[in-house]
Formats: sequence, structure tokens, C-alpha cells
Amino acid sequence: MENILEINGLCKSYGDFSLKDVSFALPKGYIMGFVGQNGSGKTTTIRAILNMAKADSGKISVFGLDSVTDTIAIKERLGVVFDELYLANHLNVRQIEQQLKPFYKDWSTEDFFRRIKDFGLPDDKKVGAFSKGMKMKLMIAVALSHKAELIVLDEPTSGLDPVARDELLDILSEYIEDENRGVLFSTHITADVERIADYVTILHNGKVWFTGTKDELAEGYAVLKGAEADIPGALKEKLIGFHNYRNGFEALIKTADLVGVPSPLEYEKASIDEILVYIAKEDKNERHS
Amino acid sequence: MKDILKIMRFDFLSARPYALAPAAIILLLCAALSLFFSPIISAYITFGAAIFIIPLGGVAEKSGFNRLYGILPVNRKNITRARFIYIFFLHFIAEIIEIAIAFVSFNLKLNKLLPNQNGELAQMVSKGFEDGFLIPVAIIAAFILFCLLFGYMEMMGQLFGRENELKIIIITLGVVCGVVFVILLLAEREIIPTLKFPSLPVTTAGKVILGVVLNIIMLGICVLFGEITANRLAKREL
Repeated sequence: MENILEINGLCKSYGDFSLKDVSFALPKGYIMGFVGQNGSGKTTTIRAILNMAKADSGKISVFGLDSVTDTIAIKERLGVVFDELYLANHLNVRQIEQQLKPFYKDWSTEDFFRRIKDFGLPDDKKVGAFSKGMKMKLMIAVALSHKAELIVLDEPTSGLDPVARDELLDILSEYIEDENRGVLFSTHITADVERIADYVTILHNGKVWFTGTKDELAEGYAVLKGAEADIPGALKEKLIGFHNYRNGFEALIKTADLVGVPSPLEYEKASIDEILVYIAKEDKNERHS
Repeated sequence: MKDILKIMRFDFLSARPYALAPAAIILLLCAALSLFFSPIISAYITFGAAIFIIPLGGVAEKSGFNRLYGILPVNRKNITRARFIYIFFLHFIAEIIEIAIAFVSFNLKLNKLLPNQNGELAQMVSKGFEDGFLIPVAIIAAFILFCLLFGYMEMMGQLFGRENELKIIIITLGVVCGVVFVILLLAEREIIPTLKFPSLPVTTAGKVILGVVLNIIMLGICVLFGEITANRLAKREL
């Protein structure tokens, strides 16, 4: 399988925050959900992919090209959607099209206005007055009009109403029907990832906590519940985000570690949301409190 | 060079909604006043060029262009360089328009159509059509002054932030005025020798060559400002 995006050993420090040895790969034809708490390093990683942030070490390849030396060639083929609009607020869609067109060899005015029409965006209204959902659609229309082969979205669904979120996810699902494309989709709304992602990378405190297919993640972790007294000593150390409630404890556990779990303890499949919550709880080190 | 032209076009389109109407009014007003009252008034068209530059900083800040610059397939240094070439070209275009209007105005002498030709005002106006030397000097001086000012402001704004731009300009003007005052004072007291300005060329060819040389020097200064800024900004992250 050919990778459309590959990150190896990315390190980047900003004062008290740092990305530590971030490595993951996105194969062509798939959507990767890039999840993690706020401040986990998702945006910094994306900025490094776009060469907007300079990596301290590590290598990023997009379309097999180096993200630093071949940045212009990469950006010709890359579409980006940020959480905020990056286009001139005081211009309308027609004027924006005029501005951006010369920058891309493969820009298609026809495609752009067809998508604008399909997305139901007015072409004579200032884009700054658009709703958040409309702004997202405009950024996607820009990305698709220069035939981007990889779309990177940084928190596109935060602040969107459920209908706009649903529309955005549908657009991405349609986009990825072409198997030569890819989508890296950063979010902390895990329901979106559960719905459309094929791969998931979880970033936590600047480190990759998990990277793999969504199925591997779903099958790899479970939530264990029961009375604390029933936990065998060896198992307790393997629990992630252990939390003791009045009626018993809850913790995340690798399914591989479930072998030999005593019957009074119960477990169920963990959702991505639960995984994120338990990772965060693990930081608080409740087990030892 | 292609990148620079693309960014210049981008900047022009960004400023156009704010600048087109005021610049057109300035152009028409200056042209009309220049034709009837004095060719030298055409030099004020430089303000029209300035109107295409002033909104850019605010637009870029409000619209999050930093992120856009990060995703456009252009060399980052060229984005910075382009702004300075844009400043030069706008002033250059204004200068050409000013010269053309002044030339037409000087030769048509439409001031003769004004009523009461023997009146004091008409006499004063007609004097403005007599001195063919001062007009290009004023136009080129306006071009140099504005080009330098906007180039410098752009450099300071990009390097130290738009919010500090005004502060830096005031400090710079203060320093320049202070240095000039000290030099004049020392010259007056004959502590330093008084400099004699070289006399300007008398022939038309000489004047044209001097004008072209001054334009090339201004282009060079804008390129230099652009290069300094681009090199400093390249080290920063977007």
C-alpha cells in the first residue's frame, strides 16, 4: 500500500510543549482521524506537514516528496481546511476565485462554481458574513477546485451544527471514493472519526498513543468494570485511567491483557471517546491517589 | 518572478474593494484641478496609490492570511518581496499618470478658459503654467517620499508588528529631524562645511535620465527593503 502521507520521528518544541517522536502513515484511498485533547499537538503536527512550523527533527513525506524541500510542489496538490476561514473576509466568492486561480496549475473555475452552487453558497455575499458551515464548505470548494489529492482538515467540525457536520462528512466520504486521494482529519469530536475514518491516530501530550486502523483500535481496547478487590495484582498495573467510583472501578485495558481476568469483572468494547477519556485520566494518576 | 506577480495581483484584488472608488475620485479631482489650475497638482495622485496599500495590513490580519500564505504553493520569501515591489509599482504607475496629466495640462493651458483672466487669482494660476521645471521635480519628489515612507512602514510593520508601526514611524521621524537639525546647526556655525547641492541637469534628456535613475534607485531600495524583511521573516514560523 502506497502512503500519501508519512511522518517519521517528528520532534518539535515550543517552550513547555513538545511533539515527541511523532510517527504515522496514511495510505492512499483512506481517511485518517487525527484525534487528541486540545493541546495534544494535532495543530502543530499539521503545521509541520504544511511547513508552517519548522521541525526540530524528523521527516515528513507527502506524495513521497519532502515536506520542506518540495513544499511548493506538495501545496499544489494539497487542500487545507482550517477551523477558521483564511480567505479575505471582505470579498465575495467570485472575487476569492479571481484571487486564488493564478496560484494553482490545475485550478478549474468551472469546478469551483459548480461546487459553490452544489453547496448552496451565495457567490455575491461577503465570505466574512458566511456561517461557520458555509465557510467550511467554501474552503473545501477551494481545495477540490485545484484537484487536491490530499485534504488536511484541522478541527473542521468544531463549532458546526449537526446538519453542517453531517454535510461536511458526506462531502469527505464522496471525495475519498477516488482511491488516489487521502484525508487527514484532525478533531476532538470522536463521533466524526467513528463515522468516516478508516485509520485513527491518537496524539496525547505530544506523543502518538495509537496509530492504526479504526478496527484495530476498536478491537484493541476494552473498558473493564467491577470491584477493585477483584483485580489481580498483576493486572492492576496494566489498567489505563483507573478510577474508583462508589459502586466499583472503571478502567481501560488492552484486550490482549484480558486473558485471565476473573469472572466478577466485566468488560465491554471501548469507544474512541472513552479511550481519550481514560488516557486523560491516566495522566491524573488516580490509581495512586 | 511569477510568484511575485501572483502575490501582487492578490494584494491588488484584496485592496481593490476599499481603494478603487477613493483612488478614482482622487485621480479625477487631481486631473481636473491640474488641467485648470496648475499641472503640479497632479503630484497629489500619489495619494491614490497609497490608498491601494493602506488597507492591506488590516485585511491580512483580519482574514488570517498568515494561514493562507502557509498553504499557497509559492515561495514564502516571494510573498514578502512581492509587497515591496507592489508598493514600488503602484507609486511608479501613479508617477507615470501624474507626468502624463501634467504634460497635457502644461501644454493645453486650460487655465485660459477660467473667467476673469485679469483677476489676481487668474494671474496666480497662470504662473503655475509657466515653470516647466518644477512640475517633474514635484512629481518625482512625491514619488520618492511616498515610496520610501510606505516601503519603510511595510518593513517595520512586518518585522515588529502592525501595532508598533506608528510608534516606530514617530521615533524614526524624530531621529531624522533631530539629525537634520544638528547638521543644520553645525553647518550654520561653520563647524562642518556647508554642502552644496549639485545643480540639476538643464537639458530635457538630462532631466529624463535623472528621473529614470531616481526610479531605478527607488526600485532598488524597495527590493532591498523586501530582501531584508523576507530574510528576517523566513526564520519565523507562520
